[in-house]
Amino acid sequence: MLEIKDLHKRFGDTVALDGVSLSAAPGEVVGFVGANGAGKTTTMRIAMGVLAADSGEIVYNGAPLGVKQRRRFGYMPSERGLYPKMKTGEQIAYFGELHGMSRAEAKRSAAELLEQLNLTDRAGDFVQDLSLGNQQRVQLAVSLVHDPEALILDEPFSGLDPIAVDVMGTALRDRAAAGAPVIFSSHQLDLIERLCDSVAIIGNGRIIAAGRVDELKAKEVKQLRVSVQTPEDLTAALPGTVTRDGDDYLVEDADDQEVLRIAAAAGRVTRFAYDQPTIAEIFREAVTR
Amino acid sequence: MTSPHTETSRLRGLMLVAGREIRVRGLSKANIISSLVTVAIVGVLAALPTFLGGDDGDTAIGLAGDEAGAMQTQLEAMGGFDVTVYDSVDEAERAVEDETVEAAVADGSLYSRDGVGNELEAQLDTAWHAAAVQTNLADAGLSDRQITEALAVQPLEWVTLDAGSGEVTPLDYFTGLILSIIMFMMLMTPTQYIAMGVVEEKSSRIVEILLTSLKPWQLLGGKVIGLGVISLVNLVAMVGVGLGVAAGTGMLADLPPGTASAAVSSIGWWLIALVLFGTLAGGVGSLVSRQEEAGSVLTPLIMALSLSYVGAIFLLNAPTSTFAQVLSIVPPFSAIAMPTRMAIAEVPAWEIAVAIGLLALAAAGALALGSQLYKRSVLYTGSRLKLSEALRRTA
Repeated sequence: MLEIKDLHKRFGDTVALDGVSLSAAPGEVVGFVGANGAGKTTTMRIAMGVLAADSGEIVYNGAPLGVKQRRRFGYMPSERGLYPKMKTGEQIAYFGELHGMSRAEAKRSAAELLEQLNLTDRAGDFVQDLSLGNQQRVQLAVSLVHDPEALILDEPFSGLDPIAVDVMGTALRDRAAAGAPVIFSSHQLDLIERLCDSVAIIGNGRIIAAGRVDELKAKEVKQLRVSVQTPEDLTAALPGTVTRDGDDYLVEDADDQEVLRIAAAAGRVTRFAYDQPTIAEIFREAVTR
Repeated sequence: MTSPHTETSRLRGLMLVAGREIRVRGLSKANIISSLVTVAIVGVLAALPTFLGGDDGDTAIGLAGDEAGAMQTQLEAMGGFDVTVYDSVDEAERAVEDETVEAAVADGSLYSRDGVGNELEAQLDTAWHAAAVQTNLADAGLSDRQITEALAVQPLEWVTLDAGSGEVTPLDYFTGLILSIIMFMMLMTPTQYIAMGVVEEKSSRIVEILLTSLKPWQLLGGKVIGLGVISLVNLVAMVGVGLGVAAGTGMLADLPPGTASAAVSSIGWWLIALVLFGTLAGGVGSLVSRQEEAGSVLTPLIMALSLSYVGAIFLLNAPTSTFAQVLSIVPPFSAIAMPTRMAIAEVPAWEIAVAIGLLALAAAGALALGSQLYKRSVLYTGSRLKLSEALRRTA
């Protein structure tokens, strides 16, 4: 269990974080969403120990997160960085060693990742000679090389090509399946929707909504959507506030069982369900609230 | 969850960083080529005094007459002569004429084609006198043993009262010059590379990933060690070739007293100075975020190093002057000045001790300042940090 507890951080007069808390259970993928400048990067940098919080703490498996455990974490900072004049394979293995692997383990792991990322034939090239997309893949390899037991990734999908997005997504789910807590930020809300068990939405240094994706969606239920195969117009017949969305009826403020009864009487009901908001809608809702 | 991780000790982190520097920078094509060129230059320089001295082998001398035997003994004892004994004076004369020998001594006469140089004349004269004395003493009935005792005269011991006036032999000057050049290069190169490396990590933002598994002191310390090792390997190659060539050309015996020990102790001086300049370079390097700005923050360090070098060159002309004394004690100038001075002149032990103490103190201060600067500013990106701002920042 990785817990970020009540972080506060000021930069001069600017309050960057104002009591940010979020957590990821083993095997849980948490999406961290927020507008630019909301505090995502600051939170993640503090979690990884590259920035000190004014107050608050990071707790891992019940104890304050120390340097030793943190070294087993995988981290991808928002500002990507690699040694431009170091060979690709050598560089990935070097980070494996820094994270505590033996030379041989690090080399083997680097070779495996290069294989997965279709970079095996570039292993001997300097990073600066790779295309930007390939550099991003190397960056991904660097954060995964040591088989991390927890992942904190700041915008891991930005700048990735579709293949790398798939590799990254698979890697996140694989790590989570192996029991690692995973926290990642992204502006690509469709990816969050697809990959995350939970989301935390941050705005102006505060968490404004957080929870399991299915629960959040259930809480933010909108209207009842009904499709009926009938030539009649049921707008007047249905109770509550009724609007049309194409051939569908959107019903609000009504007893759903009564709606169903009237609809079934009119014709074959092909769809009867509450509309769930997308993460994007929840996010928009949360930040404008 | 199974984990392949082993405990990473602090030392391992430090050594991994140092190892990376050595692999990536030390084994780069550029470094290997520049090292080979430098070693070649040192080799040529070491051989230069021999060429300049025009010492092209032994002087061929012919001998004949009664004193030939005694003269031969004397000349061979003096060394540097290729002696041929002829049966008659005529033969010796002919040998001079057809240039088989440079000059010939026979029956109290010195035969040459058109006179001999002052040095050769003095040497032959000395040998002639010694041989004559020996013969006379033997004629007077003294035994060989008595003669040897009578001739065993201690050479004059030199006492120079006003050494500061510039009594530096060309060889001393040359030795000191080489030493100060090497020290200068050995400090300048790693200092620049450390700063460049720090800026590289900062500008590429890789430092943020590095600092999740390394402490700032490991990152900075590993750099200083790594680049130090590269420089040391270069130095050993240079000194090895330099001394090898000197030994090969017979120069080694002629080097000023204490050269060898000065060469060894120079490594100690260099180590302390490397800590001083290296950690400061890392500290100031971390103030900037772009490679183009690295030069401006490094300027004070490069100036200090260059002044130390220029000072050491001035010192070569007057190794016992007050200027030399002060320069070789005050850090950071002492880092180059003192080993240079030690190589060419006697330096009182207390001066050496004070110089080491002060330099070590300065290095400790630099270590504290440099690592604080580094720790506080390495994650800051944006415009160049002022020194005072960096020191006010909390890490």
